[in-house]
Amino acid sequence: MNGLPAALTAEAVKSVAARVVRAASLFIVVGISVLATTLTWAANRGNEQVLAQLGPAADLAGWDRLLGVAAQVTAAGALLGFGVVLSWAIGREFADGTIAGLYGLPVSRASIALAKLVVHLCWTVLVGVLLTAALLLVGLLLGLGPLDSAAASGLARQFVLTVLSGGLALPAAWAATLGRGLLAGVAATIAIIVVAQVAVVAGSGAWLPLAAPALWAIRPDSVSGAQVALALTVPALFTLATVRAWRRLELDR
Amino acid sequence: MPDPRLAAHALVRRFAPGIGVAGIDLAVEAGEIHALVGLNGAGKTTLMRLLLGMLRPTAGRALVHGRDVATAGSTVWARVGHLVDHPLVYPELDGHTNLRVSARLRGLRGAAVRTAADRVAEELRLTSCLRTTAGTLSQGNRQRLGIAAALLHDPTAIVLDEPTNSLDPAGVILLRESLLRRAAAGAGILVSSHHLDEVARIADRVTVVNHGRVVGALAPDTSEIERAFFAMVHADDERLSR
Repeated sequence: MNGLPAALTAEAVKSVAARVVRAASLFIVVGISVLATTLTWAANRGNEQVLAQLGPAADLAGWDRLLGVAAQVTAAGALLGFGVVLSWAIGREFADGTIAGLYGLPVSRASIALAKLVVHLCWTVLVGVLLTAALLLVGLLLGLGPLDSAAASGLARQFVLTVLSGGLALPAAWAATLGRGLLAGVAATIAIIVVAQVAVVAGSGAWLPLAAPALWAIRPDSVSGAQVALALTVPALFTLATVRAWRRLELDR
Repeated sequence: MPDPRLAAHALVRRFAPGIGVAGIDLAVEAGEIHALVGLNGAGKTTLMRLLLGMLRPTAGRALVHGRDVATAGSTVWARVGHLVDHPLVYPELDGHTNLRVSARLRGLRGAAVRTAADRVAEELRLTSCLRTTAGTLSQGNRQRLGIAAALLHDPTAIVLDEPTNSLDPAGVILLRESLLRRAAAGAGILVSSHHLDEVARIADRVTVVNHGRVVGALAPDTSEIERAFFAMVHADDERLSR
């Protein structure tokens, strides 16, 4: 990996300056917090329509309900936000034409691709910290009771779910590379969300890597460690696939 | 004899019949400005992409500093500067940050990054653009910024595809002077252009490309170089149509 530190610096500078990253951070942290807050508040007041929509979280109470709702929203909402930003980070090089300038450098394209994914991971960790902190604040403001060990475990699972959602969005990076633009990545993100949602409704359970993190965050007893670990194969495989695609990339279309 | 800065040996890359590069031999020596001229679709950009590894050849070899492009390492590429297609300029970054990002990607580190960025900004009169977000710059200034990004590390092999596109007359003169200075310092420069009068001012050699092949060379001091160019291209077209 030639020039990885330089590539990391370049990608970090670009991400910090990008409006799309700031907007997506706001969308994920504030959007999920507001949705989780309003749905939990409405459910706590006995709103039948909301309770009917909450699925397994409807049977929970207190911190468990708030974090169950947040996990459901995160599974789709955060994945959408992460997938769009990842599609932008890759696809913008093609859309802006800057991809040509990333050839003929002492920094290899494989390093640039890996740097993009590492910066994405760092951003998802930051978003995970902010979202978890926001939900802690929401829970305290809603008067859900003291932060006991169960609630702390729930918040920790919420953080892990957020970061894993960022990892599950990695097929978008590969798709944006193959499709030479943002749209292929966004389409892949939507496909991931649809497959995960449909599979859960169809009862595939936690053996589907795309669905396991959310199921684990809501009901940790129903998901085994192996099933959560299996979810890690998605980011691992698509990191390799994306780096390989960048290494072999030709400007032939 | 030292290796040419850039070389193509029987280089082939076909996209469709008549499109691409169909067996080009070419060398750009140290201290030389070598101009490629040809009509749109003649194969100039494809040749440059092959020399920079943006495309893999169907046959033949592309060499930079004597090394095959397919296997050249970071020390070889650290001595290459190029602008092909679009400038490496990110609209969300200001001019100075763009130059610093380019400097790092071209292998510069520490204090050398700022020094190189400041020096090339001075050389190409970009100092007024340094604090401006690149997305708000005029197309000409973005092009000038892209040229600066390609040259800031003092490369010894330079590839520029239509670099005067969008440049104002002052920018054209600055680029001309910069390239002449760099060639005098030993750089080998391959530049494509549609402006034959501009080519005649700076090039040591002018190679004419048509339908993916080299069809001849023009002496830069040829009187009425435009007429000579069209005569060469039309003669080739007629030969192919027979």
